[in-house]
Amino acid sequence: MTTKDVSSKKIGSFFFQYAIYFVLVILILGITVIDPSFLSLSSFRDILLQSSTRAIIALGAAFVLITGGVDLSAGRMVGFAAVLSASMLQIQEYSHRFYPGMPNLPLLVPVLIAIFAGLLVGIINGAIIAWFSVPPFIATLGSMVAVYGLNSLYFDMKPNQSQPIGGLRQDFTTNLGSGYIGTGVYSIPYIVIIALIVALIVWIIFNKTRLGKSMYAIGGNIQAAIVSGINVKRVLLYVYAIAGALYGLAGVMEAARTGGATNNYGNMYELDAIAACVVGGVSTAGGIGTVPGVLVGVLIFGVINYGLTYIGVSPYWQLIIKGLIIIAAVAFDIRKYLTKK
Amino acid sequence: MKKLLPAMLAGAMLFLAGCGAGSTPTTSSSSSGTSDKQPTIGVAIYKFDDTFMTGVRNAISNAAQGKATVDIVDSQNSQPTQNDKVDLFINKKVNALAINPVDLTAAGVIIDKAKAANTPVVFFNREPQTNDMNKWDKVYYVGAKAEESGIMQGQILVDYWKAHPEMDKNKDGVMDIVMLQGEPGHQDAIARSKYSVKAIEDAGIKVNILAQDTAMWDRSKAQDKMAAFLGSQGDKIEAVLANNDDMALGAIEALKAKGYFTNNKYMPVVGVDATAPGLQALKDGTLLGTVLNDAKNQGAATLNLAAALAKGLTPSKENTGYDITDGKYVWVPYKKITKANMADAQ
Repeated sequence: MTTKDVSSKKIGSFFFQYAIYFVLVILILGITVIDPSFLSLSSFRDILLQSSTRAIIALGAAFVLITGGVDLSAGRMVGFAAVLSASMLQIQEYSHRFYPGMPNLPLLVPVLIAIFAGLLVGIINGAIIAWFSVPPFIATLGSMVAVYGLNSLYFDMKPNQSQPIGGLRQDFTTNLGSGYIGTGVYSIPYIVIIALIVALIVWIIFNKTRLGKSMYAIGGNIQAAIVSGINVKRVLLYVYAIAGALYGLAGVMEAARTGGATNNYGNMYELDAIAACVVGGVSTAGGIGTVPGVLVGVLIFGVINYGLTYIGVSPYWQLIIKGLIIIAAVAFDIRKYLTKK
Repeated sequence: MKKLLPAMLAGAMLFLAGCGAGSTPTTSSSSSGTSDKQPTIGVAIYKFDDTFMTGVRNAISNAAQGKATVDIVDSQNSQPTQNDKVDLFINKKVNALAINPVDLTAAGVIIDKAKAANTPVVFFNREPQTNDMNKWDKVYYVGAKAEESGIMQGQILVDYWKAHPEMDKNKDGVMDIVMLQGEPGHQDAIARSKYSVKAIEDAGIKVNILAQDTAMWDRSKAQDKMAAFLGSQGDKIEAVLANNDDMALGAIEALKAKGYFTNNKYMPVVGVDATAPGLQALKDGTLLGTVLNDAKNQGAATLNLAAALAKGLTPSKENTGYDITDGKYVWVPYKKITKANMADAQ
């Protein structure tokens, strides 16, 4: 009797622990039942490709969520980085150049400028939150609005005057966008590799560094973290700065992947990123979250976006399904949190 | 450190403010207040980050030089915000209003406000309903006929179909297309989706829509949707119709990733707007055609009408330079743009 109880509990907690992985598998199976041709290497490759920039943004958001914060400025920073990098990487013969007389810069220069812009905004976010004790929601709400304003001013400068930026250089769109290793379906796009490298680095920070341990400690119980001698302010500064740099990188990749940029790029991506994190088991209360979880969360939305369009589900139904999955995930999340207590 | 940080932040903010001050003058009033008898026109755009409306906005600023002082504001895609701006303009006693409505059904309320203050209104780009337009005689409309853009998209594909029989890959005489649509419920999205197909059918060619979905006018969303279409429909697709150029360009990126536009693998893609990146794609041979929504003339006509009204004149061909239809409408025609006549759009 007792053994039976234990084993059923074990099975229950196993399902509980890995619920999101089951959701992913069920989604893929469901779509495959409706259209068997979905289950192919090329579908899988497309989904990975579309998920790469989102994964990087979600990993940035995970840093912040684990400390118990939230970063609403992510999407607008992606847009700013996309416009910044694209504006400096146009081909010479393009008729509407952002900087008409500018020589070809080495690829890395505009890319680093854009990532640095993200880092800078992240530092400002972190500093305001840590030293002025402004709640993260408010601080990043402010920077979200201000960064969009700054981006729009830049985008509206003469001679561009808010026209979409196009005519991007081949080396940019290939190396950070459409390029890949291998042939046909047996190939890995560069941006997937970049996302995997970023995920690996983030995994190391989360699990093998003092910064990582401090982040979880702060998110778990900030008072205990202070008492145990963690420099909370410095950790928060680092966390928002790293997140900002990741949004910058994602913005650059978004511009390269699509071959263009406007100031509206990245709009609402922060909510997609938070949703992916939450579905992937990151607790909005802080202190809980893993890199594989976040990646699976991103993939679930990738499969929904691609797969449901693949089988021709109406866009309105896609939104309803997404909404239900987010709510279900948070309901699970809260239960996990309660059982821990 | 504790004392230094606020100072550093203050410095950073000053820096940001400085950046702003350096680059603002493009959007605000175009002519300075040297001539005091110039009328003032309050202009509200539905959303500043809409590519096409930015073109119209710039055209209004340019046309205003020496004619009127314009005060252009962003309604942030929200009708309540726009109504607040209209109240503000009326409060500031502008001589005329030029309104690009967020929601075309809201025009009635704006007309009531304007009529009460005796401030003439020119609506542009989104056409209010006829019964609203007839509420007052100082209400005008400048715009293009949305269905015309769809018809021209369809005609571009018809011309290509007739000149290139190989476009009918499965030789069934039916054009198998996929469609990338703008925001659901948007007047232009509905008209373009409907009339592009109708124009092809009117030319005697049957159309089969393999897949259609909204990509919200957005390039990266269109790229993702197109990748999914290519995944599910593959080589069955014979043409791509996109409600605007941004989405057409997103589709082209997805097609490139599947090997199109190299080694004679081609896909006709048609957009609308003739944006700068769109024209580049025409030049590269990836975009088959686009339709120019004439931002310059829409902006100039709007400004000229508003300026005439602000001076107390009744707009006419003589004082505005544009034909007035039915006493209150100016129709600015669209133009078909392909590689052959690209120069017309530049």
